[in-house]
Amino acid sequence: MLCEECNVRPAEVTITTVIGGEKTVRHLCRDCMKKYQNGDISSLMAAILSSMTPRKTENAETDAVCPNCGMHISQFRKSGVLGCAECYQAFKEELRPLFTRIQGRTQHAGRRPPASPEEQERIRKMEELRKKLEDAVQAEEYEMAARFRDELKELQQSKVQEAEPGSAAIKDVQKEEGKDA
Amino acid sequence: MHNEHPIILSSRVRLARNLQDIPFRTRMTPEQADNCIERVLAVLRDETDIYHYYPMRGIKENLRQKMVESHQISPDLFKNDDLGAALVRNDEKVVLMVNEEDHLRIQGFGPGLDLPAAAQAAYETEDALQRKLNFAFDEQWGYLTACPTNTGTGMRASVMLHLPMLALLKQMGKVTQLAAKVGLTIRGIYGEGSEALGHVYQLSNQVTLGRTENEIIEAVTAVAGQIESMEKNCREKAWEKDPLSFEDQLERSMGLMCFARKMAVKEFFVHWSNLRVASAMGKTGVPLSVCDMLLKKAQRAHLLAEAGKELSEKEIDARRSDMLRSTLSIYH
Ligand SMILES: [Zn+2]
Ligand SMILES: [Zn+2]
Repeated sequence: MLCEECNVRPAEVTITTVIGGEKTVRHLCRDCMKKYQNGDISSLMAAILSSMTPRKTENAETDAVCPNCGMHISQFRKSGVLGCAECYQAFKEELRPLFTRIQGRTQHAGRRPPASPEEQERIRKMEELRKKLEDAVQAEEYEMAARFRDELKELQQSKVQEAEPGSAAIKDVQKEEGKDA
Repeated sequence: MHNEHPIILSSRVRLARNLQDIPFRTRMTPEQADNCIERVLAVLRDETDIYHYYPMRGIKENLRQKMVESHQISPDLFKNDDLGAALVRNDEKVVLMVNEEDHLRIQGFGPGLDLPAAAQAAYETEDALQRKLNFAFDEQWGYLTACPTNTGTGMRASVMLHLPMLALLKQMGKVTQLAAKVGLTIRGIYGEGSEALGHVYQLSNQVTLGRTENEIIEAVTAVAGQIESMEKNCREKAWEKDPLSFEDQLERSMGLMCFARKMAVKEFFVHWSNLRVASAMGKTGVPLSVCDMLLKKAQRAHLLAEAGKELSEKEIDARRSDMLRSTLSIYH
């Protein structure tokens, strides 16, 4: 049996690693085992990349390329660094097995960016309107409340794929209006 | 063991982030690199915290080297002297590297074993930047980085440990495996290859995807604590077994540092390590904070900066001894 990492030297040792509760058993040669034991993820990645055989149909023309930065997958295999954020999409199929092997998982958990500044502004305005709407209803100024309600509706629809129907505040206004009418 | 941080010197958390609309470093133009720096500067200028700006091409090589010795910047940024920059927060608890492997490496620092504090410091700066800049982020992959070994949280949580007894008793292989089992890695900080000068090691996480920041921090903290008690045990045993030899060794190092006229850096590391053990075990009046300060001040770029002129190798070794002698003479 050949070493699973380099596919060159015979596999002499079996190594079991547990990363984040996931167990992996691998058959490796002594050289590749050292990389594992040193726990050096970078040299491990380099080994995986160099052992990734290009797809049979792959040549200069079919070599996957990132449309945004022009990086070729063959360049990534050599350097181990990607060219831009779009590369993640362009090389999706190559990256997935790589992530599985070096990271053990393929779904992010943890911190994330806040909404965009425009989005934050929209959220802030909506909160403001909800408050005004509530106040107007409290003050029984229904004409004004209806105007706020319409503005709020418009803001809510200004975000694409926002399917959530009106908030409780709006429903209340509608009830109030109905009662009044 | 009257001191707080007898074995763990410091904690650091770094976050790798990239601007969404600029290619990563290997694909970016010099104009885009400058633009990246400008946009970061523009955001941080509006913050109440003051950040000092160090463009790599605008500062002297020795100052850059000094920043490497203080672990504020990486050797990689040091080399990127045309496009890179560092931003140091006034209290030095946050240091940003711009145009290192990623557009941004936000680093938070804390003394001893306190990764949550280091992370909090990094988050503060990250939040300020994130309010105004769009970082490359994907619902599945998380924060997108140049190298797939950082993708996800982009977080590297690390602690610096002083492990002379574990090294002496040839236990570092065991320690390495203990760390590797849970996806962590440990390596010497000073010296080439496996020599680990001064027995100073860095323990850090390797996997960055699919674990939350807190999970990463908890894993590193737990293993650091385990290694710390292993080292403590070894020290106490060595002391119980043969206090005379133990004390003799510590005192010899103290003596050499107080009386030698020149000391090469490798020799310094040997004696510094003994001094730090003596200090941690309360066998000398030299406080741990002073030991850790000596570790920085005894290095090449720091000595050159102090001298303010070019020095020969011999002169550097002499300066190192002068510095040690004058600092340590206060304590005996
Ligand atoms: Zn192999
Ligand atoms: Zn790309």
